[in-house]
Amino acid sequence: MSSRAPRIEFAVGAFLLLALASLLVLAIASTNGNFGFGGDRYEVTARFTNLGPLRDNAPVKVGGVTIGQVSDITLDPVKLDSVVTLAIDNRYSDLPADTSAAILTSGLLGESYVGLAPGGDPDPLKDGDEIFLTQPSVDLMQLVGKYMFSGGADNAAGDDAAADPAAPAEGGSDEDLPPYLQ
Amino acid sequence: MPFVAATRSVGRAGLFTLSVLRASKPTADFLRELVREIYKIGARSLPIIAVGGAFVGLSVTLLGYRALDTYGAANQVSAMLGLGLYRELGPVLTALLFIGRAGSSIAAELGLMRATDQITALGLMAIDPVGKAVAPRFWAAVLCVPLLTAFFCSLAISASYFEAVHVIGVESGVFWQVLKDSVDFGKDFAMAFAKAAVFGAVAALVAAYVGFHAEPTIEGTSVATTKAVVNASLLVLMFNFVMSALLFR
Amino acid sequence: MDPNAPIVRLAGVRLDRGGRTVLRDIDLTVPRGQVVAVLGPSGSGKSTLLAALTGELEPAAGTVEVLGRPVPRRMRDLLELRKGIGVLLQGNGLLTDLSAAENVALPLRTHTKLPRPVIDRLVRMKLHAVGLRAAADAFPRELSGGMARRVALARALALDPPLMLYDEPLTGLDPIASGVVMDLVRRLNDTLGLTSIVVTHHVHETLPVADHAIVIANGGIVFSGTSAQLQASTDPLVRQFLDGQPDGPIPFDAAPRGATVPEAA
Repeated sequence: MSSRAPRIEFAVGAFLLLALASLLVLAIASTNGNFGFGGDRYEVTARFTNLGPLRDNAPVKVGGVTIGQVSDITLDPVKLDSVVTLAIDNRYSDLPADTSAAILTSGLLGESYVGLAPGGDPDPLKDGDEIFLTQPSVDLMQLVGKYMFSGGADNAAGDDAAADPAAPAEGGSDEDLPPYLQ
Repeated sequence: MPFVAATRSVGRAGLFTLSVLRASKPTADFLRELVREIYKIGARSLPIIAVGGAFVGLSVTLLGYRALDTYGAANQVSAMLGLGLYRELGPVLTALLFIGRAGSSIAAELGLMRATDQITALGLMAIDPVGKAVAPRFWAAVLCVPLLTAFFCSLAISASYFEAVHVIGVESGVFWQVLKDSVDFGKDFAMAFAKAAVFGAVAALVAAYVGFHAEPTIEGTSVATTKAVVNASLLVLMFNFVMSALLFR
Repeated sequence: MDPNAPIVRLAGVRLDRGGRTVLRDIDLTVPRGQVVAVLGPSGSGKSTLLAALTGELEPAAGTVEVLGRPVPRRMRDLLELRKGIGVLLQGNGLLTDLSAAENVALPLRTHTKLPRPVIDRLVRMKLHAVGLRAAADAFPRELSGGMARRVALARALALDPPLMLYDEPLTGLDPIASGVVMDLVRRLNDTLGLTSIVVTHHVHETLPVADHAIVIANGGIVFSGTSAQLQASTDPLVRQFLDGQPDGPIPFDAAPRGATVPEAA
């Protein structure tokens, strides 16, 4: 071989190593690390009447700590509410069966996430179970509108009456427990 | 009829692609050629890719900051950079820079080989010229464009970090956290490199086809080089659209 | 293969290129061991004849036999045939990113399973035969025209082919380099027991080393005989060619475009 070969081989080796190193660093430092290793999670579902801006891969948090992700969102064609599948890390396998799920936003303009509030049931949630206590997403614009129209103390009486009949029909109010708990 | 002619040349290009794949055998000679080509089209394209990546990172960060600041969402600038980079800018811009630097040299080298009878000589020595001259360049491109994209993205993100944190004033921790939260490993990151590999293959095939079939004259070589860059660039943009449309469900 | 069979035999061959008939009624027999010069004005079809011998061009009519069998059409058989033919091209065709020694080693590495030291030894021998053992590690761009031509010759001889084809080997060479090349053609032919066909228009350098000469003009063979017979020929076309006369059967004024090639005399 010519005398240039060792230098070329070194240059190529350095190029390949640097490139692979930067790939690795990018993967770790700039992505959500969702490498898709499915074995260490279990899945539960939750039904919501209104998802708001919730989308795939949104975090699932308990008390602000991320314990899993939203892995699937579909619409039930019969009951016409949305079925959200939550993939929860196997380390957190002792969530009580009566845990409630709510769709919240981090900050005012932040992203949507599913917040879980543990209940008191001694039985844990298992793979395939459904969370039956859910709170739909709060629609910010409707909330602002309601506040503006239900306004200050002066307009409280009149506008309250005007606003109230509208409220249950919105489906965006604070308390939206399923019928069997009311 | 131009339609018939166009169909025939698509057919010829397809047959050429098949012959490149068929002629690729991992012999010691092939690997030696492959290493040489990786040096020529990969390692030597690094400067332009790196500088390009840095400047794109700076520009997109500035652009993103101006756009997002009106909504008070300047902190999201790293999300905008990350998603824009991995989904579109990284693979496409790397591929276009690669075509300009390495695609033109592939077409020129093969055109020159044609003009100086090297390709004829190989055929007369009962050596497949496609296997000897084209296949190593093809596989080198398929390997190098994703790696060059990695360099492009790292430099873009590094430059963006510098601009966002030290010039604009975004908090360092917020920069990285927002970036990590918004870039999905499978859909965004891995897809970027899959796209890059496809673009490398397309660029190499177009440049090699045009160079290999150039007129065996000096003018033929220069025509081939221009044609290679133009056609490869257009095809890469086309494939980018098709892949994004199919994969971005 | 029968040792007395001709290396090359063309019978009634017609060769077309681009819809035009370039050569017709070609009958040629080349016995083993001879150096045959194929002469003729530029554009007369000499290189087309070589293309028929290497299988690049299929005859429109007639048969072409090389090394005792018809030139095959199937790629695999054609590749086998080509291993037995060494070709020296006008442009040398040396691979520019390989050194001289690597160029010569290329056919050996690709087609034989000989171990590396054996190949290196063979390469040195071939380069020594053309007088360039010292230039083994030079790259083609560092070689002069004559030296590059000789390296290409060494490469063509790498697999010891029984038949050597030379396409305009003296193009662009000075008188000394021309002399070296033609001397090599003759000496290698005799010492290695080859048969050589030299296509050229350099009449005066080639005739002294050729056993047999043919002249191609007007789409056919207009002369076939020994060098002495060629020098003594009285055919006006051959005379114009040999003496370098600007005007004669091949006119000084170009024919109007679209005129057909006249029939062979």
